Order: sequence, then C-alpha cells, then structure tokens
Amino acid sequence: MAEAKTLKTTGDNVIVCNEVQKWYGNYHALRGVSMSVRSGEVIVILGPSGSGKSTFIRTLNRLEEHQGGDIIVDGITLSHDVRNIAEIRREVGMVFQQFNLFPHLTVLENITLAPIHVRKWSRERAEEVAMKWLTRVGIPEQADKYPGQLSGGQQQRVAIARTLTMEPKILLFDEPTSALDPEMIKEVLDVMRDLANSGYTILAVTHEMGFARTVADRIIFMDAGQIVEENTPDNFFHNPKEERTKKFLNQILNH
Amino acid sequence: MAGEIPPGPPSMGQESIPFWRDGRVLGVLAQIAFVIGFIIVAGWFVSNILNNISSLGSSQFICQDGGFSYRCAFDFMEADAQFDISETPIDYDPSDSYWRALGVGALNTVKVTVLGIIFATILGTLVGIARLSPNWLVSRIALWYVDLLRNTPLVLQLIFLYFSVLLGLPQIDSAIQPLGLPMFISQRGVNLPSFEFMPSFAILMAFIILGIIQAQVLWVILGRQEELTGKESNRLTWAIISFIVVIGIGWIVSSNETNQAVLTPASMRIREFDDFEQIVLNRLDVNQLNDIASDLEEGLITQDQVDEAALKICVLRDAPSETNFTSQLRRADIPYEVKRTTRQDQSTSSFIEGDCEAYVGPTAVIAAERDAMDNIIAATPEDDVVNGGAATMLQLTENPIRLSIPRIEGFNFVGGWKMTAEFTAILLGLILNTAASIAEIVRAGIQSVSKGQTEAARALGLSESQRLRLVILPQALKVIIPPQTSQYLNLAKNSSLALAVAYPDFWNLGNTTINQSGRSIQIILLVMVFYLSISLSVSGVLNWYNRRNQLQER
Repeated sequence: MAEAKTLKTTGDNVIVCNEVQKWYGNYHALRGVSMSVRSGEVIVILGPSGSGKSTFIRTLNRLEEHQGGDIIVDGITLSHDVRNIAEIRREVGMVFQQFNLFPHLTVLENITLAPIHVRKWSRERAEEVAMKWLTRVGIPEQADKYPGQLSGGQQQRVAIARTLTMEPKILLFDEPTSALDPEMIKEVLDVMRDLANSGYTILAVTHEMGFARTVADRIIFMDAGQIVEENTPDNFFHNPKEERTKKFLNQILNH
Repeated sequence: MAGEIPPGPPSMGQESIPFWRDGRVLGVLAQIAFVIGFIIVAGWFVSNILNNISSLGSSQFICQDGGFSYRCAFDFMEADAQFDISETPIDYDPSDSYWRALGVGALNTVKVTVLGIIFATILGTLVGIARLSPNWLVSRIALWYVDLLRNTPLVLQLIFLYFSVLLGLPQIDSAIQPLGLPMFISQRGVNLPSFEFMPSFAILMAFIILGIIQAQVLWVILGRQEELTGKESNRLTWAIISFIVVIGIGWIVSSNETNQAVLTPASMRIREFDDFEQIVLNRLDVNQLNDIASDLEEGLITQDQVDEAALKICVLRDAPSETNFTSQLRRADIPYEVKRTTRQDQSTSSFIEGDCEAYVGPTAVIAAERDAMDNIIAATPEDDVVNGGAATMLQLTENPIRLSIPRIEGFNFVGGWKMTAEFTAILLGLILNTAASIAEIVRAGIQSVSKGQTEAARALGLSESQRLRLVILPQALKVIIPPQTSQYLNLAKNSSLALAVAYPDFWNLGNTTINQSGRSIQIILLVMVFYLSISLSVSGVLNWYNRRNQLQER
C-alpha cells in the first residue's frame, strides 16, 4: 500500500528543524527546538499541556510563524516568502483537533475544494480521488451530507480524507482524537494506523499512549518549549532516560 | 368498562390549581387583553383621520362632475402638475398630470436607491475587510472612516457634500477632466461616457442569446467527449471562442441593418453619405477636409466661414439617432452645427422652415415625417416653404451600440451620462454613510467565523483571496444578511433626505404636490404606500436570498 510520494531530502531528512524559537508576546513558547524526520517515519510528540507541542507542529506549515532558527521542509526553507509557504502547504497536510470542516459545504465539496482551486484539478478528477479516500476511511455513503449531520468520529475521518485528497507528502496530526467521544476514538485511530502502515511521513501530537506505543517509530517528549527526550517507543515507556519523562509517565499511566 | 379508557397522557390534577395561577387561563386572558388594547389604539387612529378629513372639508373629495365622494379622493391627481422637474428619467412636461410627476419622483427614488445599494455594498465590504487588515495604516484609515461617517448626521453630510464639495467645484468652462479621461467634473455634477443602445441592438441581443445557448451546448458536448475519451479539452476556451464568433456575426448583421435614415431637401441632391462631404468642400472651396485646419492657420479662410459652411442638422435631444449621426460626421471630419429639439414636430418644422439641412431619425419615423411633410408643403404657399419639393431619404449604417462621450458645447454638456450635482450629492451621501455601517456588519460577520476555518483553509493551501471568497464570506453572509437588510431599508428611506439637496425624489415632489393641491392626506397615503412597497420588495428579495443560503447548511 505504499502510496506516499518521494520527498526531497536534506541529508537523510525530509524535515529539519534547527534551534526553532517562538514567542507569544513575552511568553517564550519554543525554546530552541531541534529535530529531524526521515522519509516514511512516524513520529509521536508527547508532553503535558502547554509544553509547546501543538505550537511546534503548527510552525511546520507556518500556521504559526517562528521567530528564530531554521525550518526546512521538503527541501524548502520556511521564511516570509509567500511562494515557499504556498508550496509547503500544498505538500504538508494537517488534521485538527476540532476537525475544522467547512460547515457550508457538503462532505464531497469540503474534500474537493482545495484540489480544484489549489491543485487545479478538474471537478471530475477531484471527485474521483475524493470518493476513493472516503471509501478508504469507510464513509463513502456520507458524501452528500453536511458536516453538521455527521458524528464527531465521522467528521474527523472526513477531515482526514480532505487532507489526503490533496496528496500531501507529510501528514501533521494535531491532537486528532482529543475532541472525540471515547467510542469514536478507535475509528479515527484505525485510519491513522492504516496510513502509518502505508508509508506516509507522519507527525502526530496525541495523548493516545496505545497508538504511540504500537505505531510510532520514534517518540519525542516535550516540556516547557523544549525537547526533553527522543526515544524509541519501547525504551520510552519502559526505560526512559530523563527524570522529567519518568514523572510524566507516572502521572499518566498510574491514575 | 375498564378497557374503554382512551389511551393518552394521564391527566394531572388540574382541579387543585386556582385559575389565577393556571398558565393556560393566563395565556387566554393575555390574548384577550392584547386584542382589546389593539382595537382601542386602531380606533383612535381611524377616528383621528376621520376628524381631520372632516375639518379639512369635503372639498378634498370633489369629483370631476362636481359631486362629492370619498371615491373621488384621488381625482385631483389627473390635473396638470404645473411645476417643472429638474431631472426626468421619462418624458415630463408641466402640463402632465400629478400622477406622472410623482411617477418621475418614484423613478428618481428607485434610481438613487438601487445605485446606492449596489455601491454601498461594494464600498462597505471593502472597508470592512480593510478594518481587519494586518496593515496598520489601512485598518486605521478604515476605522477613522467608519467612526466619522457613523457618528455624524446624514443630513449634515449631505449638505456638506452638496454645498461645500459639489457646488465648490469649477464652472462648466473650466470643468475638471481627471487624467485626461473623457469625463468631466464641475459644478453641474459629473458627466461620464455611456453606451447608447441603438434600435438595431434588438438584433444583436438575439445573437447574444443565441451565443449563450450555443456555448452551453458546446460545453455539454465537449464534456461528454471528455468523459468518453478521458482526455481533457479546453472546454472553457472553446465555449468562449464560439460565443465571441456568434456575437461578431451578430454585430456585422445588425450593423448592416440600415434603419437609420436622414432626411435632406431634394435641392441638395444628396444620394449617399459622402455627398455631405462634397457639399461642405464646395462651400469652402477646398479640396480636402484635412485642408480646413491648415487653411485656418494660414488665414486663407476664417472660422466664421467654416461655421457658415458647416452642415446644419436637426436632431432629437439625446436620441440614439443623434449619437449615431454626429459620430459619423465627426469620423468623416465634416464640420457641423447641431440644432437640438425635444419634440419630433419641432424638428420637422425647423426642417421645413430651412433651419437645417438634414434631419435624422429612425427610418419609420422619417418616412412618416416625409409623407406628412409632403402634405404640409402641398397645403402651404410656396414662399413659406424653403426646403420645398419631395425630401430625399438617405440610409446610414448603424452600429447596435455606440459609445457616447460627453463634450462641452456652448454652456452645456452634450452626450454621455449626466449626473447632476444634486443626484451626485444624494447618491454619494447615501453610499458613504451606509457603507460605514455595512463595513461594521461585514467585519462582525467575518469575525464570527471561527479561527479554525481560516487555519484549515490555510493548511489546505488556499490563497488568502480564495480563503476569503470560498470559505469565510459564504459563512459570514449568514450573519451579515439580516442586519444588512435593515441597512438597505435605511438607505431606501433615507433617500427622502434628497429634499435637503433639492433632488427631485418621490418625497420632494410629493411635498410640492401637497403645497400646490392642498391634498395632504392623500399624498401622505401615497408616500407611505410607496416607501412601504420599496421596503417590502428589498426585504423580500433579501429574505429569499437568506433562506436559500440557510438551506445550504443542512
């Protein structure tokens, strides 16, 4: 099922971050984050709330502007150059906590909007690809409904199909299951697991430890705007290096 | 017997509630109280009107036969209005009835309302978006504009615009021509180029419709072919090309349709258009029209001689035929002098008396005029008729649409679209004032759409203008339209402030009619009905649009 496209690499890596800094006014949100991602790698970012993990992945497609350091995505350096930003956004898909579907458009129109207007596909082609992805996430019969008529889990799967129809090379998940009822979390995680197995490069911020343990190639643990620990899932959960990590794991695993 | 108990909700112990605490009884009592209150208020209004009518006297209701009846309340409207109106979209003369005078007023109000709504919407939307601009200067300017215009009275703005701005502009002889464009701004208002639709435009219109159908059919056929072959063809390009080709054919066909006629005296022996040139050349004794300018410079001929030799033509003021004929003469560099009349018969008599050598109009009209003329000529003594004998009719090519460019001739503007100072003042005032309120509504509407929508649009790679157009505005519209409707209604009703700048709108002319006829109740009634129907149509259209928009939700 390897559908993901090849990426331009910098060295071995498709994403390279070097000493990324970000302030909100006087609040120092990212304090020199450096990391890199290889093609096809699945990375889960963990951390307590306010640790800057969402802010960090949102700098990768410039939903948040970074004020220091370098970010290189797919061989393109992120700067104020709007053409570079547009190019990166075409290749980097993002799934949000609150789904952010467009309520005035049907499911199919939600999915085909960007391919038609950004990729300049014909409507026929866009609809064909959209239906393929809707089938893959398991809800082709909902194509003509409006987002408000769907359950949360279905909406999030539509949002994933909307992102994938743009045929991105990199997928960013920003707490995709945090706004869902417990019984709907599984259906979304199943789709994400399926994508991870298909060779996509994925960065996911999530609180789903089961997903992190079984799917991730690497876990990044952040706290107070810094990367505290990078480790494989096995070592991270059973043999963490840092004291801060142990405290965090204690809090979430033993409640 | 126990099995016959009807199914239904169990009755609660209503016996235990005293009636003054029983919600159902209280509801009925409130209804009764409201109806009684309504009848009292309505009765007071009716009796007040009846009292006023009887104190005004039964002369308010004189019938044409001299009797009195309420049914004759509006009979006075048939009488001559006897006042002049400065701006008349339809023919009007003081000898026309009050009905026609108020009709002119109604059209003027509708004109300023419709244009006002269109431009206030455009300006308001732009300012509203500018308010949210990340550019500090742009958003500040938008804020100042909104604050200034919303916090001062509209009448004040209108009077300032009219007396300080528009009447402060230069006189007609030094009218401003911005950037050398063919438009004039002066004390008389604004004069813009306009398109004149000739009678043959009807034929072009048929071709336009044909072209649209044609392009649609082609679009569908090519679409089917795409589906069959799987290859993409440039459907849009082909549809547009075919549309342009059809319009082009239509233009040629309708241009050859010769229904523009010129009447010339038989004595001039004119057979075709070029003969006009020959006549002027003979009069000036030059070989070429181009020589006139150089001969003038060298002093071989004087300006007076040129004026003398110029072709004297008669036209109907602002008729399509005028634009058509004069623009052909200008193109051929033939000097001419126009005599404009407002009525057909005035042109005819000028022509017979020899005031002009050519008289232009639609073929049918000219043919009828010629027949009439033959009769007149036959009935009058020879000496009174200068342009005697059967007149010659000349057919000219006429384009379906002509550009009419304003020019200064003497102390007047000729051609183009005239916006008087009064019209400009009320239109501009309404636009600027309403746009300020619309800007705030648009800003609120945009801000009501959640931030997540913007982030999703950006993350999908939509450009900023696509984001606004495809994602934000369609959602904001649902919030915008209801308050926008009341702004449009405000604009329509505020147009009655035209009185302050002497623009002849419905209320202004209604006022004049009251003063002249003394029938205040009838006119006030008409004014109420008029503004009510404008308001109801505006809100009817917007409610329909809003419902259509809401339905898209789910």
